Amino acid sequence: MTAGFPTGAMPPAPTRVRPEAPVQRPGRIGEESVRIDGVPKVRGEFEYSSDLWMDGMLHGATLRSPHPHAEIRHLDTSEAEEMAGVYAVLTHEDVPGRKVYGMEIPDQPVLAWEKVRYQGEPVAVVAADHPETARRALEKIRVEYEVLEPVSSAEAAMSEDAPRLHLSGNVLRRVKILHGEPANATVDVVVTGEYEVGMQDQAFLGPESGLAVPDGQGGVELYISTQWLHIDRDQVAESLGLAPEQVHLTLSGVGGAFGGREDLSMQIHSCMLALETGRPVRIVYNREESFYGHVHRHPCKMRFEHGATREGKLVYVKAGLVFDGGAYASSSNAVCLNAATFACGPYDVPNAEIESHMLYTNNPPCGAMRGFGAVQACFAHESQMDRLAGELGMDPIELRLKNAIEPGMRFPFGQEVPHPAPVREILEKVKNMPMPEERDLEGRDLRELPGGVSNVTHGEDVKRGVGYAVGFKNIGFSAGFDDYSTARVTLSVDDGEPLVRVHTAAAEVGQGLVTLQAQIARTELGVERVAVEPADTRVGSAGSTSASRQSYVTGAAVKGACGQIRERIFERVREEFGEEGSLALDEDGVLSDGRVIVSLVDLVGDDEIEETLEYHHKETHPLDEKGQGDAHLQFAFAAHRAVVEVDTELGLVRVVEIATAQDVGKIMNPQALEGQIEGGIAQGLGLALLEEIQVKDGKVLNASFTDYLLPTILDMPSVKMEILELSDPEAPYGLKGVGEPPTISSTPAIVAALRDATGRSLTRIPVKPEQIAGIADRPPAEPPHPGSAGYAEIGRLDERREH
Amino acid sequence: MPGYERAELTAELKVLPSGEGGSRGQIEAAKTAAGETGLAHEAGPETMVLAGGRREVLDAATRVVEAALDAGAGGVELKIEAQGDAPRFQAQG
Repeated sequence: MTAGFPTGAMPPAPTRVRPEAPVQRPGRIGEESVRIDGVPKVRGEFEYSSDLWMDGMLHGATLRSPHPHAEIRHLDTSEAEEMAGVYAVLTHEDVPGRKVYGMEIPDQPVLAWEKVRYQGEPVAVVAADHPETARRALEKIRVEYEVLEPVSSAEAAMSEDAPRLHLSGNVLRRVKILHGEPANATVDVVVTGEYEVGMQDQAFLGPESGLAVPDGQGGVELYISTQWLHIDRDQVAESLGLAPEQVHLTLSGVGGAFGGREDLSMQIHSCMLALETGRPVRIVYNREESFYGHVHRHPCKMRFEHGATREGKLVYVKAGLVFDGGAYASSSNAVCLNAATFACGPYDVPNAEIESHMLYTNNPPCGAMRGFGAVQACFAHESQMDRLAGELGMDPIELRLKNAIEPGMRFPFGQEVPHPAPVREILEKVKNMPMPEERDLEGRDLRELPGGVSNVTHGEDVKRGVGYAVGFKNIGFSAGFDDYSTARVTLSVDDGEPLVRVHTAAAEVGQGLVTLQAQIARTELGVERVAVEPADTRVGSAGSTSASRQSYVTGAAVKGACGQIRERIFERVREEFGEEGSLALDEDGVLSDGRVIVSLVDLVGDDEIEETLEYHHKETHPLDEKGQGDAHLQFAFAAHRAVVEVDTELGLVRVVEIATAQDVGKIMNPQALEGQIEGGIAQGLGLALLEEIQVKDGKVLNASFTDYLLPTILDMPSVKMEILELSDPEAPYGLKGVGEPPTISSTPAIVAALRDATGRSLTRIPVKPEQIAGIADRPPAEPPHPGSAGYAEIGRLDERREH
Repeated sequence: MPGYERAELTAELKVLPSGEGGSRGQIEAAKTAAGETGLAHEAGPETMVLAGGRREVLDAATRVVEAALDAGAGGVELKIEAQGDAPRFQAQG
């Protein structure tokens, strides 16, 4: 359904000049290295994808369903098509290729036909000469819906009389792990608990946006902020009915991701509009639209039962986890698997029965978010460990130490625990870190009290609490996925100096990967000047910037390609100079026994030495029917201690300090590492206290940063960190992925501290002020008392430590 | 299929209705049969995709085609794709 073009000849398809790679002078790995994108970002000069611009470009807009569940009875675009300035109005009938997409399961319509399954589902797209014209054109599209009752929870989706949201029903995945003989286990103590995690948003600041440019030959160029260029390309090409080679993607400035950009949003729409109109088309979501435009963290309900001996040794864990996947699959399969495999925590559990379910509902689609699956499970297993400690009258840290898993043991999903697995060490570290000073409440600056200056108390009813948690997660893709990355490295002479160019498709999403690639090239080739080319699909796939995997996988690819170039240089030196001894590279050139044989400038001359390497990590395997298998590549561990002050009357919280210990294998860039740890803790704090997408009957109630509460710098506590560098013998430089573990166990540590301060059970996150203050729907059967969460018998940990 | 789809075999079936009045019923019959296989997702107003192991997808495709034809459809377009590395691909972490 295309409107007539305005009078006048169509302009020729414009092209966009490929951005140049700036030259860096990075440090070597392990050294501080200034981020090349840091200063432009701070100055506001960095070009994010929403800043993309081309003369003559059109502006795209998306018509979305206002209903979470409805049948589309009639769709009329004629009035919109006739508007001046409107170039195209497209519906599902205009999708040239496959009408559905999806990373794991292609079940999500590019544009809805017949039925919508969540509020905000795209129904039509418009291209116009001005954003406001496009918006008004959306208002002229007439859609007649027959509204249906939404399936608004995972429990409702499981009921026998629930409508089938997809052809094969509402159960998207079920993972069961059976380990040992939990049914026959004999125990002294049993604790059970039910826990719930709300729907967290990635809350990246840069909205979904991109610019599609026709290439004049039937294909399209797409400049886009994403996490995985090649999976986007493949899905876009499939829906455009084009060969992958006809679709070129270039990464543009990414304003945060955290998993929320792993799925498509406006990619196919902008390309459809560009190809239809022959003009560049930019789409930029507004903030409300962004909440509908990407997946979120899965809400989850979990029931756990732990059995242990009187001495505190775990005997079994039984758990049932039910996830709300929302309307479409996204990466829910992997989330379901992760949650099952990490449900028991980093503990030696001889018997386990875990069942994880993923359901389709009419809620917003859920998918990847930092730490997925492990975040939800960690809140439950750590809450259970505190509950068990309380039941046993045991120090919660001692209980964890007693059960800490160690290399050579087996996880409940059958995989042997690899070395290093320093659960005990990181727990000891956080236990022994100095506690923050406990200052008088009276007379304190109001900004340093719970609630800040808006607090109406001056310290009355403020209590201090301390909580601990430990967690872990897989690094890299799992369960048989052939995970790899590609790097092309070129050595040449530029302006009279050696220059290394590194080209990968790995997405820099703010974590510092561009700097890291340059550091690796600098380290491996000894060349001071490095240019990291813009990531695009002109080189092979780098996989996704997710699962904390890029430093490992793309890092290994860059290292390997540099190594091949180094060997070619050495070969040339051996041939030309007859050197027989061992050779080395540094800033001065090629050395033999510390003596410079030749400079790289002289050796390389006008040549370009180029190598491309595809790095595949070791094979992993799917779980078998009992949930057993070597499913994961690498495991990363972190522990957290939270100190909080709680206004128990008003339910306000100040997180005083987070202390953390994490094993990273190798510190590649100290500043970037600190940033990952502090950022991850901020997101963990948000999940503990603030962040939840409120959904009622399938409708989002708080799609704005006014109503979706995010921690700010005023909420962020000081962070003490101790970093362990226990080398992974199979990883490049021995490193471990670091992005996710800070998010995983910071949340339960904060909640444990809240329990310590208030004595309340607090089984749902984010914890709301009314739960902290004890304002419930009905009076509690038993009044709470401080210490009931595991500290009653032996007093608060911080008090105990002082004696 | 996108590279991330890891079923061993996928079958895309598009129902070609015959006659004006019964086309919806013909499509519905095919979709119902597809849904009963446990392997199906919708891929368009008249189209569905079956994804799974080779044998189960081929058997399921036969059942869907028969259901469509029994309901009076004029034909079914069938496109089958094998994923070379599919057996290793069960899930991502």
